[in-house]
Amino acid sequence: MASIAHVDEWADECASVSEVEQALINLRLQRGFVGKRNLRTTVLTHIAWVPREWQQAATETLARLAERHPSRTILLFPEPDADDGIAARALLECYEAPFTDRHLCSEIAELRLRGSRAQAPASIVLPLLLPDLPVFLRWRGRPEFASPVFEQLVEVVDRLVVDSSEWEDVPGAYRELTEVFDRVAVSDIAWRRTLPWRRALARAWPDLPDRLTGPPAETALLAGWLRARAGAEVEIERADQLPVGDDREPSDLLSEELDVFARDAVYEEAVRSAGPL
Amino acid sequence: MDTQSVQTENPLVEGLELRRRPEPCVLTIFGASGDLTRRKIFPALYALAVRELLPEHFAVLGVARTEQSSEEFVAQMEAGVREFARDEFNADTWAELARRTRYISTEFADEEGEDRVAKTLTELDEELGTRGNRVYYFAVPPDAMPKLAEELGERRTTTGWTRLIVEKPFGQDLESARELNDLLSRDFTEDEVFRIDHYLGKDTVQNLLALRFANGIFEPIWSRQFIDHVQITVAESLGIERRAAFYEQAGAIRDVFQNHLLQLVALTAMEPPIDFTAEAVRNEKLKVLKAMPTPSPRAVVRGQYGPGFIEGEPVPGYREEDGVARDSGTDTFVAARLQVDNWRWADTPFFVRVGKRLPRRETTLAIQFKRVPHTLFEDTTELRPNLLIVHIQPNEGVSLAIGAKVPGEGMKVRTVHMDFLYGGAFRSGLPEAYERLILDAMLGDATLFTRADEIEEQWALVDAIVAAWRRDKPAFPNYAAGTWGPQAAQELVQWHR
Repeated sequence: MASIAHVDEWADECASVSEVEQALINLRLQRGFVGKRNLRTTVLTHIAWVPREWQQAATETLARLAERHPSRTILLFPEPDADDGIAARALLECYEAPFTDRHLCSEIAELRLRGSRAQAPASIVLPLLLPDLPVFLRWRGRPEFASPVFEQLVEVVDRLVVDSSEWEDVPGAYRELTEVFDRVAVSDIAWRRTLPWRRALARAWPDLPDRLTGPPAETALLAGWLRARAGAEVEIERADQLPVGDDREPSDLLSEELDVFARDAVYEEAVRSAGPL
Repeated sequence: MDTQSVQTENPLVEGLELRRRPEPCVLTIFGASGDLTRRKIFPALYALAVRELLPEHFAVLGVARTEQSSEEFVAQMEAGVREFARDEFNADTWAELARRTRYISTEFADEEGEDRVAKTLTELDEELGTRGNRVYYFAVPPDAMPKLAEELGERRTTTGWTRLIVEKPFGQDLESARELNDLLSRDFTEDEVFRIDHYLGKDTVQNLLALRFANGIFEPIWSRQFIDHVQITVAESLGIERRAAFYEQAGAIRDVFQNHLLQLVALTAMEPPIDFTAEAVRNEKLKVLKAMPTPSPRAVVRGQYGPGFIEGEPVPGYREEDGVARDSGTDTFVAARLQVDNWRWADTPFFVRVGKRLPRRETTLAIQFKRVPHTLFEDTTELRPNLLIVHIQPNEGVSLAIGAKVPGEGMKVRTVHMDFLYGGAFRSGLPEAYERLILDAMLGDATLFTRADEIEEQWALVDAIVAAWRRDKPAFPNYAAGTWGPQAAQELVQWHR
């Protein structure tokens, strides 16, 4: 992996969205005249909705992601109990582009949505979206599916990325998830994590096991998949680890989800069949 | 049951991105002790092994004159993989590939050598389940190819399938290429012969097809109506390294112009194929090659480098290189103004140049569009025509030069560049051309290989140029190492302007 060459930063405890946009432009322009030639290479806008308990994990994942998946990233940290306002930080992260004399730069906007601002996130991200590029929303933790905040954000994005292994109420929660399928394409990192296991099962077909042993989300999804695709019923046994695992970093798994654009009919079918019959 | 029918019946495979793996086979490399095997073929096989793209039942048999054991050969290949592979070295992956690798030191052309190769292949079938399927890789000098093809044809069995991968150069002229094609066609069908031009295996060359045929905005203006001319450059800053014996015979025109460069012209100028299958793509390329008349002698410039400087370092002239005749007349540079005489391209020059010891390593395709028909603005002295540049290597990507207003009063317009850097948008790392080509050959997909009739058209053009060269003796050297070739080459383009 290429090493980070430089990070430029701007921050304001009380900012407007247009100031954030202007700060991102200024960082790019300032850096553009210093040292190696910089390129802003952007393939998507990546929004992350990150409640307080997920902040550390989200920051670690994104730190690894930026270099691998050039994007404009908008991190939304809801702080509904604080006084109204937006505290913002804008960063320009530049990396050495291998075998070239250039730096590749990604933009990150960290926005703390305080008080009532946390209730209207769509109006805050809309002006910051890059035109004509796909918009991905990574929702950390269990979404409140019917909440106004969730509804608003789903309306402005092309793809919702969740990790249902972060949810405590699977498979029950899958029923709510199925209701958004017709409105937004959905990716589930838990589903991505089962890919090697699914490949192994597909190669073993028609000799399928009677029992799946693993974490709740992954086994529920696989059971739904086998039920939907092969009409097979399997028992589920709880365990912490996947038997055929994907031991890559969360940022790698998220990165792969950011390469997927269309609806995943097989996943949707698995989710629909994963819930209680 | 074949792989495809299993996949259609298995309800679990949909969406799993289970990449198609080739059927069991043995890859036999003739000329295995050469640099190509160590630097390119084995690193490519290792990359395929890392990605689980090799057949489940697979073996490699190296065959060459060099006396060494299988263990010594494997150790050399391991060193090659450690040095040249694009992936980190994984001992387990390598051990599995090494376990499947054998080496025979023999002169294949003799009876005993043939027997030993055949016997070892049969043993590998029994031991590793490779089912009699064969891929023969001809990594041998051109003069060894006919005999090898003949022997393999005579010993061909009815068990399993057979495919031949033939390295360039494919012949030394039209006559020898035809003879080799005729010889191959005696015992092998065209779809069993995979003539390698490794440029076609490069992702960035294939991206040229994506640029043209996956974007709605370029194809409508991809013609004489909007394009002023096309420039294609295949430049190397290196000299001939240790290839004097070959290069003295070949020169730049046979080494690069005849194959890589003419293929780039064909890909740039071809009509949209009806689909992305081998026959459809090759049919369209062939039409372009057939539409290229022999350039007049004035439209071709040849050169040979003298002493000069590359990146500040003094380098010798071509005639001072080891193994080169002191009065050598070999070309190390060729530039030409080519034409494609069809409705799309009539009167649109294709300026091409290939050469060694040029200032930098660079393969680019530059499409220069026509100027606007009428200038509105008072100051356009710094405005150049629109230029679309496809950077094939290095800095793989695409740039578009457009005119933009200079901030301030008045309407001063100047040229700026919009850049797409391949490695910036796609961070997965570009595969080596040989990975794709070896895998395609094992899968039987010839789309990225050159067909017999294409090769012959390419040689016909080159033979005609070389025939004109025989009439006079060039005043070599005529460019200094580290420059962009002879002045006459620059003038080719300037006359057009």
